[in-house]
Amino acid sequence: MFWRMVKGAFLRQKGKMLMIAFTIALGASLAAAMLNVMLDVGDKVNQELKTYGANINVLPKGASLLDDLYGVGEGSGVSDQYLKESELGNMKTIFWAHNIVDFTPYLNAKVKLAAQDSEVKLVGTWFSHHLDLPTGESLDTGMESMKSWWDVSGQWLADQDENSAMVGSLVAGRNNIQVGDTITLESGERTKKLTVKGIFNAGSDEDEQIYVPLPTAQELADRAGLVSSVEVSALTTPDNELARRAAQNPNSLSIKEQETWYCTAYVSSICYQIEEVITDAVAKPIRQVAESEGAILEKTQLLMLLITILSLVGSALGISNLVTASVMERSREIGLLKAVGARNSPITWLVLTEILITAVVGGVVGYFAGLGFAQIIGHSVFGSAIDIKPMVIPLVAVLVALVTLAGSIPSIRLLLSLRPAEVLHGR
Amino acid sequence: MKRQTMYFRMITSSLIRRRSRMLVALLAVAIGATILSGLVTIYYDIPRQMGEEFRSYGANLIFVPGGGDSALNADEVKKATGFIPAEDIVGIAPYRYETVKINEQPFMAAGTDLNEVKKTSPYWFVSGQWPAGSGSVLIGQEVVERIRLSPGDTFTLSGTDIGGKSFSHDFTVSGIVQTGGTEEAFIFMPLSDLEGLMGNSGVLDVVECSISATQQVLNDIAGQVGENVDDVTPRLVKRVTQSEGTVLTKLQALVYLVTVVVLLLTMICVATTMMAVVAERRREIGLKKALGAANKSIIKEFLGEGLLLGGLGGLLGVALGFAFAQTVSINVFARSISFQPLLIPATLIVSVAITGLACLLPVRSATDVDPAIVLRGE
Amino acid sequence: MNLLELQDISKIYGNVKALQNIDLTVRQGEWLAIMGPSGSGKTTMMNIIGCMDKPSNGAVILDGTNISKESAKSLTGIRRDKIGLIFQQFHLISYLTALENVMVAQYYHSMPDEKEALQALERVGLGDRARHLPSQLSGGEQQRVCIARALINYPMLILADEPTGNLDEANEGIVLDIFKQLHKDGSTIVVVTHDPEVAEEAQRTVVLEHGRIARIVENEK
Repeated sequence: MFWRMVKGAFLRQKGKMLMIAFTIALGASLAAAMLNVMLDVGDKVNQELKTYGANINVLPKGASLLDDLYGVGEGSGVSDQYLKESELGNMKTIFWAHNIVDFTPYLNAKVKLAAQDSEVKLVGTWFSHHLDLPTGESLDTGMESMKSWWDVSGQWLADQDENSAMVGSLVAGRNNIQVGDTITLESGERTKKLTVKGIFNAGSDEDEQIYVPLPTAQELADRAGLVSSVEVSALTTPDNELARRAAQNPNSLSIKEQETWYCTAYVSSICYQIEEVITDAVAKPIRQVAESEGAILEKTQLLMLLITILSLVGSALGISNLVTASVMERSREIGLLKAVGARNSPITWLVLTEILITAVVGGVVGYFAGLGFAQIIGHSVFGSAIDIKPMVIPLVAVLVALVTLAGSIPSIRLLLSLRPAEVLHGR
Repeated sequence: MKRQTMYFRMITSSLIRRRSRMLVALLAVAIGATILSGLVTIYYDIPRQMGEEFRSYGANLIFVPGGGDSALNADEVKKATGFIPAEDIVGIAPYRYETVKINEQPFMAAGTDLNEVKKTSPYWFVSGQWPAGSGSVLIGQEVVERIRLSPGDTFTLSGTDIGGKSFSHDFTVSGIVQTGGTEEAFIFMPLSDLEGLMGNSGVLDVVECSISATQQVLNDIAGQVGENVDDVTPRLVKRVTQSEGTVLTKLQALVYLVTVVVLLLTMICVATTMMAVVAERRREIGLKKALGAANKSIIKEFLGEGLLLGGLGGLLGVALGFAFAQTVSINVFARSISFQPLLIPATLIVSVAITGLACLLPVRSATDVDPAIVLRGE
Repeated sequence: MNLLELQDISKIYGNVKALQNIDLTVRQGEWLAIMGPSGSGKTTMMNIIGCMDKPSNGAVILDGTNISKESAKSLTGIRRDKIGLIFQQFHLISYLTALENVMVAQYYHSMPDEKEALQALERVGLGDRARHLPSQLSGGEQQRVCIARALINYPMLILADEPTGNLDEANEGIVLDIFKQLHKDGSTIVVVTHDPEVAEEAQRTVVLEHGRIARIVENEK
């Protein structure tokens, strides 16, 4: 009989139940969409922040970052240190290999532009380099993807353009170099003629430099197979207390802490792991990028969290409100049931069962609609799909259940407290 | 008694005397309005708030010597900084670089305003203390590796001033700076100290400005400075400005889409609740029709109630929404949010429109109801 | 003079014939009762008399005009001006006071007039309960408010649907007394009921069976 009444209620109040299910579906879809987006926003924004370029700098041990400050050129001690180009692939074998988004080697050399006295800094690098890794994977990396802010007139070089160069806007301006010109570079007794394929404006010291493919620079500088630094762009977790302590001194941590640190994508642990795979290297976080990334990531996540909470509270109140409204609407029916002698608990169960069945239907539909919304947001904002987190399912389920109960129980109690006669006559 | 008075009495009575139901409806409208005004406030304030966060990437505009000059003139710099709107300035740090020696080894000393550096380069990691005044310096990590010094140590700095006389002065290390960049090879001291050592003042090599503004505004500032101040060349730090533009646009797009989705769903939620509240009153509509009310007057009454509810709920929502946006802003950005006065009428109009519409739909279908339903049971 | 004439009225819902070939005349000032068991077509007839429904066939002539072909909108106007309705369930608006409930009828008709509404309530003996909400009134009191509301616009025809169906004996007496007074004052009253005692108070009783008039009884008195 109980189920017959439930069934009857559904058939007779099709429209009303549909509306409740619809609203619950809306609420659930909102919750599912927001939770999925919120849980994935960290990764997505992290990817976006890669436009700021490298956050780790890998140098040979003992090399100075200011190689040219005191006029101490190559060969005179301090900066005569190099990394091996052949070891770079190792970076994709570390624990956090998947977090290494891009890396680019640089070989710096001093050259003379023919017919000019002053020296110009020549940099050899990968522009867009295809790398087959020992693990069998392959990787496309290089400077083009790491210097997204460069303003290039002409073209970016490709790695096979060994007889071409890109010239910084300041060098080009001083020496009247145009795209398409041929320049001659001299280093010691070696000379090379290069075609200028692009002139770039980087808005920094790089504008004073000339960029060529790595083999060209290695040939000119007579440093076959060597690079002077590597810039690495990695996805990192914002630093916390543990990471700060580890950065000061990794040995101060207990073994367990060390393990946690090693297995979290802190910039310091990624640096540590890079040092492990490249001989005589020092990996330093570029704090300007690493630190700011952390700050912005945290803010964005917190912001999304609060917006999510607002929309969850909003949809929760919305649903429970509607449920309250629809239960109150049934005062007459409940009065009648009481009048014919039904006790409180069966009436409560009857109404609750109906509403919960509606809620389940609405919740399931809503969850899938929410996934759709999340993907719309993901594709239109970040151009990639939002990762669907299974943990959202129980969250949405609990939310919907709690909210419908919270919406229906007080109103049912209210209606039960009314005397049947009052309800039936003149409301 | 006038007809309007009776009309007003009917709708206010309906709201006041049917307290519990109307509270449900009012709550629904208020939630919708809160979400609307809260999210829109956040949406509008995001670029400003986030923009300030992005200042942690450091300077986005630098001044370098213009033309053939090898140094900046402090007066010219002052003229140039005058073109930056004062309220947008996060920090302006001047730098003067000179070669000095410690134990006969050459080093670079940078004279600057360390308080401004703290603002323009918030990413510096200093172990020890920032220098409090004259005589104490920050030294870079790389310097430390070459001459063992730790915070609190004293060392002697020597060199030759611009007059060719040699000097020698003791300094205390107050902190060691780590940045992962070239700064690690410098010794940072107050500008006045360096000027004292060198024997002249008013000369700068570079000025770093951190300005809370969009790329467009920065371009304008750079343009003005370039035109009006001869000896100063402004340069945008592209890595910072361009990337900030990209990321900020994405973030705003994200909040925008989220706002649209949340609003859409909330408004539908509000509408369904209102519809449930109104649908309950089919009998009343039937009765009024039986009493000879024209459809128009019934619609007018429900619309009146809806508008009143929408207005009240909207007002409540404006206040709650602002409170919410304020909470978010203080929690996330530790700053208060700017109030958008235009949002008051906008929220009111939207909530009135939504409630009105939500009332109208069920009432319209209810007015098709046969008045005869009131005669016998249901 | 005839206030209302039903000429060969039929009402068909799908394939159910609710009313078949009804002919009935109600004179000005007459008190008529309509009786019949459930399903005999009482409600349908009342809907047609009360201008809330139209017959499938036949003509309804109210106050000299044929209204059987009028649109729903103009029927609403006719109902407002010429008919006073009294319901078994009273149907007072729950959030309005007794006085305001009466004034609502004035409001839809023309102009709300508080004084006149109060007088109407006094006439049914509720002058002191005018400011009470329906939930604070007894069933009998609610029915009297309903009657006051029906009378406020001086309708040509008072149509009452089981006016005593929800009342105890004492209140039934009060309501019938009001009807008698109305009748004495010259109002035309049609009462639909299945209570023979109520029907007896009328001048004529029309008995419906299976959608047809089975007989018309003239009550002596």
